[in-house]
Amino acid sequence: MISRSLRHVVLALIVFIWVVPFVALVTTSLRSETASKTSGFWKAFTPTELGHRFSTHDGDNQDAFVVMTGNIFERLNQGSESFPVTGDVKSIFFKGRVPDPDNPGETILLRKLVPPNEPMEVRDGEFVFDEFGNFTWTFPEASAPQPKNLDVFIDQDPVFGADAFVEVLFQDKNVPNALISSFIVTIPATIIPITIAAFAAYAFAWMSFPGRDWLFVIVVSLMVVPTQLAFLPVLQGFSGIASWATQLNAWLTDCELNDTCQVASKSFAGLWITHTAFGLPLAIYLLRNYIVGLPKELLQSARIDGANHLQIFTKIIVPLSVPALASFSIFQFLWVWNDLIVALYIGPNNAEDLVFPIRLQKQLGTFKDQLHLLNASAVISMIVPVIVFLSMQRYFIRGLLAGSVKGG
Amino acid sequence: MRFNSKTLGAATVAALLTSGAAFAGSHSDVCNTPSALGDLGNFEGEVITIAGSMEGKDEEMLTNTISCFEKATGAVVKYSGSRDFAALIVADLRSNNAPNIAIFPQPGLAGDMAKEGHLVPLGDATASWMADNYGAGQSWVDLGTYANADGKKDMYGFAFKMDLKSLVWFSPEQFEDNGYEIPSTMEDLIALSDQMVADGNTPWCIGVESGNATGWTATDWMEDIMLRTTSPENYDRWVSNDLPFNSPEVINAMDVYGQFSRNDAYVAGGASSVATTFFGDAPKGLFSSPASCMMHRQASFIPAFFPKKGEEVANGEADFFYFPPFAAQDLGNPVLGAGTLWTMTKDSPATRAFFEFMKEPAAHEAWMSQGTFLTAHKGADLNAYATPALRKQGEILSNATTFRFDASDLMPGAIGAGAFWSEMTAFANGQDSKTTADNIQAAWDAIK
Repeated sequence: MISRSLRHVVLALIVFIWVVPFVALVTTSLRSETASKTSGFWKAFTPTELGHRFSTHDGDNQDAFVVMTGNIFERLNQGSESFPVTGDVKSIFFKGRVPDPDNPGETILLRKLVPPNEPMEVRDGEFVFDEFGNFTWTFPEASAPQPKNLDVFIDQDPVFGADAFVEVLFQDKNVPNALISSFIVTIPATIIPITIAAFAAYAFAWMSFPGRDWLFVIVVSLMVVPTQLAFLPVLQGFSGIASWATQLNAWLTDCELNDTCQVASKSFAGLWITHTAFGLPLAIYLLRNYIVGLPKELLQSARIDGANHLQIFTKIIVPLSVPALASFSIFQFLWVWNDLIVALYIGPNNAEDLVFPIRLQKQLGTFKDQLHLLNASAVISMIVPVIVFLSMQRYFIRGLLAGSVKGG
Repeated sequence: MRFNSKTLGAATVAALLTSGAAFAGSHSDVCNTPSALGDLGNFEGEVITIAGSMEGKDEEMLTNTISCFEKATGAVVKYSGSRDFAALIVADLRSNNAPNIAIFPQPGLAGDMAKEGHLVPLGDATASWMADNYGAGQSWVDLGTYANADGKKDMYGFAFKMDLKSLVWFSPEQFEDNGYEIPSTMEDLIALSDQMVADGNTPWCIGVESGNATGWTATDWMEDIMLRTTSPENYDRWVSNDLPFNSPEVINAMDVYGQFSRNDAYVAGGASSVATTFFGDAPKGLFSSPASCMMHRQASFIPAFFPKKGEEVANGEADFFYFPPFAAQDLGNPVLGAGTLWTMTKDSPATRAFFEFMKEPAAHEAWMSQGTFLTAHKGADLNAYATPALRKQGEILSNATTFRFDASDLMPGAIGAGAFWSEMTAFANGQDSKTTADNIQAAWDAIK
């Protein structure tokens, strides 16, 4: 069937597009700094020609010599045990002034890639190397030259290591702190709105009171209020609350003795409230549409058996609404976990309480171009939502379908 | 393919060891300065909050420096840095969430906040202290002096941590390999650039991309060239717009900058790459293998962006020379610089003590010893500078016959942190100099 195979091709294409960035992140995080900087992640799996700079020898305390031998790979790998460079030496980039054959007495600048086994002049000595990296540096008479840095191109074997993950997780406490902070923010900011929304959705679906439909329209229309618009008033509100709390604190406790009365206006609680407020309209809308589709007979018979609203809600509605509740909580969890801007404006700003997206943003400044470290952090921050999604995705799909098909 | 689990274990141990060592070592040495710290009072347990835009290495050095204050007074200083400082501080100040101290990288925004009444004046005593104790003191005072809503002028910004902008960075080894000499005049510099092109090298790495501040690198170039093509008096008139942006002097400076930045043979990656290259990535061309360019004009802070975070300067892989003046112009040795401005956004006795701390030579020396920090404080011991390179920059500062501040920092925010940046980016993308200058002047006319 053509339409079916076409559908599979399109699906495969979509999956491919979505998976490529993830593979790129993971691959880059497992590569060495030089490799991740100088070639794309798709080159990580095959031998790749990469440029390195090595010095011929260590600078201090050297004796004069006529012939020096060494190995380029040993020079490159010394001092670092991770990501050893192996492979075939392709060429060395030579540049320097050599006598001009056309104008005796003048010099010209020579820049060329010298292949293995071709001698070249380095600091008045003859320098030869082979593709295994062995080099000899021969001088006409014994001398002690300065070390020379040379650019070498190596067809390099693939090598992977988890150094970047070790570095971001154990070098300092930033990433572990960020993980903890993100959980502190995300778990209540998911549970609180889902709880409130479930009660509200039940009320909107099955309790009759005057103005119910108008109230529901207002709640739904609140979905279009952009978060950014509300930052300043919300912040002003929190700073007002914080100053009352500070006065209350001073009045109730003896905090004045050691200057600890100040209640911070930017706090985790502020983030919980903000995320709850902005998550509620969508949550109420989704849950109400689900709950209103539950069989009416079930509720009526419960009512006849003498159950009150609270009993109906906890014994019947909640167990039946698990798919909808789960699918919304995935939504809310992902949104809060990945949120940067609300946390930036409203959340606590001392270094140890920063949530993961802010930490990632700060790492752009700290790690700058160290792609392997940035990607390692990004992978760590991605793992949590991926686990949450995979473990709850069967509810998610049912939850999305639920409400669309009657009795489904 | 190899997945090395043995290295994983070794690296874990190494990482744990080094982090432990870093915790033990970093703080104690920094406060051990040549000058002793004076008595600042006792503020046991009081909290001072500081907001700024410094991140990464700068943030580390800043926290090390303020740890000396914490140690001396018992106060607790909390710094929060964000690259979105400019947006966040405005929201914080307008919603009564002010930190005690805000560090403005741009005087323009500090002036706007002073006008809205969010800053606390530092007082005449501090102003006269700075005029007496900073080199070219009065100009630093002027940099931090703004009008409030009633038009009354006060000093709000305390300049601390300065940058020297007129520097050209290069790799001595590349110069040696190619047989190049350090130029002492602008004519020589242009001749050297041409020779590099003739040799098949690319002379310059230029990048002006910087997120929502894209274009500021280009304004620095242009200001440096303004100081080298016209008189300092004209420069001052340009800053206050008494000399319009589209006057011949300014357009000429822009054209001279264009000779460098819009010349495909001069710029690594071609002129079209200037607008899209991150300013912090641009200098990496000096150290790439093979080197993609020979020279990079940038301020004194740039080694922090080098591949080894500035170690190159200490071990001789990188060096700098003074961006030279035109011999034909006879304008002396002009120098362009800038400084971050520390303002009081919420008053408290401990905060005032912190500003007293910044007057102490010891506070300057503590940061000088960590690197990428220049100061105009005359009382600070020059031996405290971490490297000979920094001391050399100090000498460039003192040999300057003309010292001027970054013009874009002095212009109103809408120009210096707005139209000037964006139009210079458009200039990098091929807009001609006349249109660029006209557009900036039009933006300036609009806010008058």
